[in-house]
Amino acid sequence: MISYKKIEIFCGTGGVGKTTLATSRALSLSKQGLKVLLITIDPAKRLKQVLGLDESLSGEVIPLKNQGEDFKNLSALLMNPRATLKRMTKLSTEGKELDNPIINILTKPYGGMNEIMAIIEVQYYLKTNDYDCIVLDTPPGKHFIDFLDSSKKIQQFFDKSFIDIFKFLGKKIGESEKAGFLSMLVQSGIKRLLKYLEQVTGENFVNEFIDAVSGLYNNRTSFTEALDFQQHLKRQDFSNWFLVTSVEQQKILEASNLKEGAERFMHSDSFLLVNKSLAPYIDTWRPSSEHIGLVEFREAMKARENAIEQISKDGFKSTLKFPEVLDSEPLEQVKNLTTVWTF
Amino acid sequence: MKEDTTNSLLQPFTHSSNNGRLIIITGKGGVGKTTLSMALTSSLHKSGKNVLYNCFDHPINKNLINGLDLPYFNLEMGSSAREYIAKKLHSETIAGWIFKTPFFNSLFNMLPGLGHMILLGHIINKLEEDPSLTIVLDSPSSGHVLTMLESPMNFKEMFKTGLIVDDIKRMEDFIYNENLLEIIITSLPTKMAIQEAVDLERGLNERKIDKIQFVINDVLKESPSIKTINKIHYPTFLKKKIEIEDEVFNELKGSISWRYLPHFSHKDASQVIQKASNFILEENNDFL
Repeated sequence: MISYKKIEIFCGTGGVGKTTLATSRALSLSKQGLKVLLITIDPAKRLKQVLGLDESLSGEVIPLKNQGEDFKNLSALLMNPRATLKRMTKLSTEGKELDNPIINILTKPYGGMNEIMAIIEVQYYLKTNDYDCIVLDTPPGKHFIDFLDSSKKIQQFFDKSFIDIFKFLGKKIGESEKAGFLSMLVQSGIKRLLKYLEQVTGENFVNEFIDAVSGLYNNRTSFTEALDFQQHLKRQDFSNWFLVTSVEQQKILEASNLKEGAERFMHSDSFLLVNKSLAPYIDTWRPSSEHIGLVEFREAMKARENAIEQISKDGFKSTLKFPEVLDSEPLEQVKNLTTVWTF
Repeated sequence: MKEDTTNSLLQPFTHSSNNGRLIIITGKGGVGKTTLSMALTSSLHKSGKNVLYNCFDHPINKNLINGLDLPYFNLEMGSSAREYIAKKLHSETIAGWIFKTPFFNSLFNMLPGLGHMILLGHIINKLEEDPSLTIVLDSPSSGHVLTMLESPMNFKEMFKTGLIVDDIKRMEDFIYNENLLEIIITSLPTKMAIQEAVDLERGLNERKIDKIQFVINDVLKESPSIKTINKIHYPTFLKKKIEIEDEVFNELKGSISWRYLPHFSHKDASQVIQKASNFILEENNDFL
């Protein structure tokens, strides 16, 4: 049995069953009496489907106790960037909501700030200390690396870029009226740059953009606090890493690529989870040699299982196989799979 | 198109040559978007079409591309964005200067939608420069394709005026022109995958994109190596999987926008794509 940590990270390329396995992990931990929060960052919102949740509840912690006795310690959260921003700006010293057209667009569910907002969200729930364990269902593939890198992006945004503007502006940005702020910018070295930008983007944008930037700057503590998160992730006593793959063509190669990309964040408590494994069926089945088609089918399946064996030797602490569960509802699948964790 | 005279409730995947010039292949992760995209590119190429494969913002699988001898092009986000700004400002120096400032650099990093939009713009340019060209876009999975198609509208709302907005209008004309853009949502023969495909269709419809075809990939019961063998010889798990497929097919009975692509058994991915490409060619009299 794999002992739990404060953060349990489930990553993998698309369609391998991250949400299903993350949910089964969360359920198996909460059955042991631990208070568990399951957060999904994937805009595909598979969790909504698995647990039958209402989309309108996204951004809120939803207790799952009405799903049955085993769920009484389990809560779920569907990431919603707008909700994160709203809470964040209410917490900030300004007290008022950040109502800027640019930020409103960017924090739409598909607006592009998902990864950064997710980091802030997770950091927030860590700080509340309400949960023994947070299980994190991350976005697929490349977007997962974006997710890990987003704290670096935050840092760059507030460190380097603002040096350009703010060493010149001083600390007045929060109080300054738009006009005053602009006129200061106009005197700066950045003036020419913005003039060029204006040609491309229109004048209005530059104004609203400056507002957006200063709005974000006022909330920089939330952003910069989120930077700690990345540091924590690297600590072996703090996190478990689960790389999910499935026994399908190309998924296997993609899994190794993903591991390579995320390796700088991972530590030695990294586990390979093989989902939809047909091994239990394939191993006991010998088609008759007169049915060449079935022999070919079995060989192709077997070759995939073998390819998995290869990566599992590649720096994982251990490998867990989750058999393909045929003919059942998503939640039944999840319940079925919890048994694998208790081995 | 052939009449449905077989036992199958759905028809095999065909692709009419007068469909879109930009074919976006999407669907949730793991449903075989790359297999379908490459197989379609390969079959179009074999039938003499001027076609290019592109996998948008993903690292390209060179082994497969080379093995299949597929015509393709690559776009890299950073250089595409710089090139675009340079074109707009008529100066590579200024574009280089803008992108060298950490401020704009981090802005681009923070807003992946902006880069996506520029990539989409590049693809549209390519199609406008060469009127005979068709591009097959192996695109990001479900939610992310919505981000990609929504970006132009979002940025139009954001910028309101200026050079980018003129470009965005051009992009929108393209996206909403049914003769140019075609979306294929790929799925698998399971209820859950079908449900996600339907959800994605709704998302696209909400963004006023209606020319959508569905392909159910990897259908075991139509697999050439399996279907000729009497079912009594199938192992139990295979029977079970085929039962699930039958249920799915039954539910979709009569729906013309759903097609299937069989499962092809081979341990080598490029062989699977090759077989799929031959299958598309055989089913498509249009190509020849």
